[in-house]
Amino acid sequence: MGQCLRYQMHWEDLEEYQALTFLTRNEILCIHDTFLKLCPPGKYYKEATLTMNQVSSLPALRVNPFRDRICRVFSHNDVFSFEDVLGMASVFSEQACPSLKIEYAFRIYDFNENGFIDEEDLQRIALRLLNTDDVSEDLLMDLTKHVLSESDLDNDNMLSFSEFEHAMAKSPDFMNSFRIHFWGC
Amino acid sequence: MSEDGAGALPPGRPGRQPGSHQENPSLDSSCFSSPPVNFLQELPSYRSIARRRTAILSRDRQRGTLLKPADSYSSHLDGAITENLNSQSIRKYALNISEKRRLRDIQETQMKYLSEWDQWKRYSSKSWKRFLEKGREMTTHLELWRQDIRSIEGKFGTGIQSYFSFLRFLVLLNLVIFLIIFMLVLLPVLLTKYKITNSSFVLIPLKDMDIQCTAYPISSSGLIYFYSYIIDLLSGTGFLEGTSLFYGHYTIDGVKFQNFTYDLPLAYLLSTIAYLALSLLWIVKRSVEGFKINLIRSEEHFQSYCNKIFAGWDFCITNRSTADLKHSSLRYELRADLEEERIRQKIAERTSEETIRIYSLRLFLNCIVLAVLVACFYAIYIATIFSQEHMKKEIDKMVFGENLLILYLPSIVITLANFITPMIFAKIIHYEDYSPGFEIRLTILRCVFMRLATICVLVFTLGSKITSCDNGTECELCGYNQKLYPCWETQVGQEMYKLMIFDFIIILAVTLFVDFPRKLLVTYCSSWKLIKCWGQQEFAIPDNVLGIVYGQTICWIGAFFSPLLPAIATLKFIIIFYVKELSLLYTCRPSPRQFRASNSNFFFLLVLLIGLCLAIIPLTISMSRIPSSKACGPFTNFNTTWDVIPKTVSTFPSSLQSLVHGITSEAFAVPFFMIICLVMFYFIALAGAHKQVVDQLREQLSLVRKHRPRGSGIAVAPSPHLLPKLCLQAWPPPASFLH
Repeated sequence: MGQCLRYQMHWEDLEEYQALTFLTRNEILCIHDTFLKLCPPGKYYKEATLTMNQVSSLPALRVNPFRDRICRVFSHNDVFSFEDVLGMASVFSEQACPSLKIEYAFRIYDFNENGFIDEEDLQRIALRLLNTDDVSEDLLMDLTKHVLSESDLDNDNMLSFSEFEHAMAKSPDFMNSFRIHFWGC
Repeated sequence: MSEDGAGALPPGRPGRQPGSHQENPSLDSSCFSSPPVNFLQELPSYRSIARRRTAILSRDRQRGTLLKPADSYSSHLDGAITENLNSQSIRKYALNISEKRRLRDIQETQMKYLSEWDQWKRYSSKSWKRFLEKGREMTTHLELWRQDIRSIEGKFGTGIQSYFSFLRFLVLLNLVIFLIIFMLVLLPVLLTKYKITNSSFVLIPLKDMDIQCTAYPISSSGLIYFYSYIIDLLSGTGFLEGTSLFYGHYTIDGVKFQNFTYDLPLAYLLSTIAYLALSLLWIVKRSVEGFKINLIRSEEHFQSYCNKIFAGWDFCITNRSTADLKHSSLRYELRADLEEERIRQKIAERTSEETIRIYSLRLFLNCIVLAVLVACFYAIYIATIFSQEHMKKEIDKMVFGENLLILYLPSIVITLANFITPMIFAKIIHYEDYSPGFEIRLTILRCVFMRLATICVLVFTLGSKITSCDNGTECELCGYNQKLYPCWETQVGQEMYKLMIFDFIIILAVTLFVDFPRKLLVTYCSSWKLIKCWGQQEFAIPDNVLGIVYGQTICWIGAFFSPLLPAIATLKFIIIFYVKELSLLYTCRPSPRQFRASNSNFFFLLVLLIGLCLAIIPLTISMSRIPSSKACGPFTNFNTTWDVIPKTVSTFPSSLQSLVHGITSEAFAVPFFMIICLVMFYFIALAGAHKQVVDQLREQLSLVRKHRPRGSGIAVAPSPHLLPKLCLQAWPPPASFLH
């Protein structure tokens, strides 16, 4: 795999990325290095793009059951530019604020992209989490019913964004689990 | 700029139906009459509104392009925009980087239209924030063991990582405790001893005290065998007894510097109070987060389903095998929860006959548990008395092994008791027929109580020995059993030292001689059926946490009697960190039932708090009830340790004295207590009222839903980070803005 043109990141660019994302200097430089290793040869890093498969097979995302959704939410036109990758890393970084994470979590969990997390989405999430074929319909229905009874406030059998936000604000594990350390930085 | 716009979109306020509210028709019309607004469509919060009116749009849209503003985009929003854009930092907006860049340019242009003062304010707040961030970044480099804990998190998940973070917290706590003791007690003594400063010790001879009380024979025999050095090292006797390790070394009444006299007894007492208060505050501060979460969570479920489904996956897992394990643990957890639901329903359907049977069985089993506890405490009591009596006899004449056995007898009995009782409790609880979640919690609670109470029993046994005499005259002379315990604080310190050393040795021995061979057996002799059954070691979090909380409780009790004990504890925990890390990486497989990080943090700190409370009790009793020894230590001139405080208060100026006396009198304490009770009742009533309001609002929501036709979701105001998209839409700003 060839490498992009070896441009050092300009100091102004680094400062700008630090101001616009939640990443630290080291993290941005780490991501820059890894991006350079993966992108196709002969291109400036700001113009190069990675395919969704390349990003899915990064060590940080390789075993994630939601990696296809993550790639879909953060990519533009099915490719990742360098700034897309930075944006993704920023949302998943430790320093990101809860509202940002909740916003993107909603997008990731909305499998059918209708603006709500409905029963179909919940069943798909549960299947991804359990990762087994040996799961009865009853179990899925039970789980869906319990989740909706806890967080569906207006009883329309789906979660709108504000209901999801409300549920995640009460959830103690959300901030801890919705983190990715990219590229071993 | 109109104020309506600002009023219409305050962040976080629940919105109304766009069709019906008058305040911002501009938002409404621009949403629906202009060509599809790409940014708005991306946001789920917008889509909840849009769903009612427009057809569901396809994914086929261009991102990253800025549209020309709709003509109807009026200055109604300008107020809101300027209000909100500058209140949040750019990073918090859910936009991609190129959009954020444009937003920042807009912000900067806006700044030009502000007054000088506002500009300077904004600039300085931005630089201050940047400075704080750089500082925070640098301190993360200083964080101890950051890389190790991160790799553990990636391989084993956040439950086990929380154990190691807890261990790191204890290392820091012990280090700070040692620093306090060092600054207040050790530093003046060392400065004077090694003649670094021109100071001298002040020794006030005892008055009106029988000379017998001050006799303190430190045993030193002529010919010392080599092994006695080892015994002394392991038990704190002999050459270690007179060193600064123990209380008896500090037989100093003050340190005279050039300008003032440093009151060492007062400093010694204050250092104890300071480290206890600091530990309490630090633990409470750390546990407030977890406590709030536990309160907010609904009480019926042990863990809510929302939490398990949406926050169930640890996104930081990078290992294939860990991921498989996480899947299987999620399977287990979700199935167990549904099972628990079923059991709870079954319990609710019990007949009264069955209920009576179950309750009487539980009463009987709880009596058995109590009996087991009493038996263990009695065994520790006997062992301690036996060990103390035989220590006084000619211990030099005994054989090496017997020597150590007698010295370490209490520690051995405590360890054995802590090993056997969890197994007994686990067996008993099966018959009590609780729901699985409650079973786990009750077992852990019983083990915690058992472990921590054993130390208290040991200390109380020592206390009873110190203040009991065969004939009354001995105790009357000095207030304590002077013949057996000329310097009783040092001897209590020695017991704590022995407990700590033994605990450390046991942890190392178990890891070296049980975990590693087990792993070797499983790897190389896996054909044997027994080995396969036994399997590889699991990293049992509750047991490990109890172990280190036990060590910390010993440190808290012992730090008063042995000032260097916190330093030893710090070293011990550092070594334990590396040992446990190696054991985890090389010998353990993670257990299928995993602890959740949020639950764990609160549980660990709760256990630590119980340990602290159990440590304060013997300390306060020994400081205020048992007379301090007259032969050694800084409190030879005082009746009890606590007497330093009244004596110091009597040296204050009279106004301050009367203030102190006023605060500690009943005339102040009773009204103060009553006011505190009133405040507490007020907050309880407030919480109850809030809960009622929440329930009513929930009902209202579902009623509102029922009365609206299907297809119209709840209208919500767009989230605060929707606003920049609206703003980007509006760029370049309408002409009216420029005036």
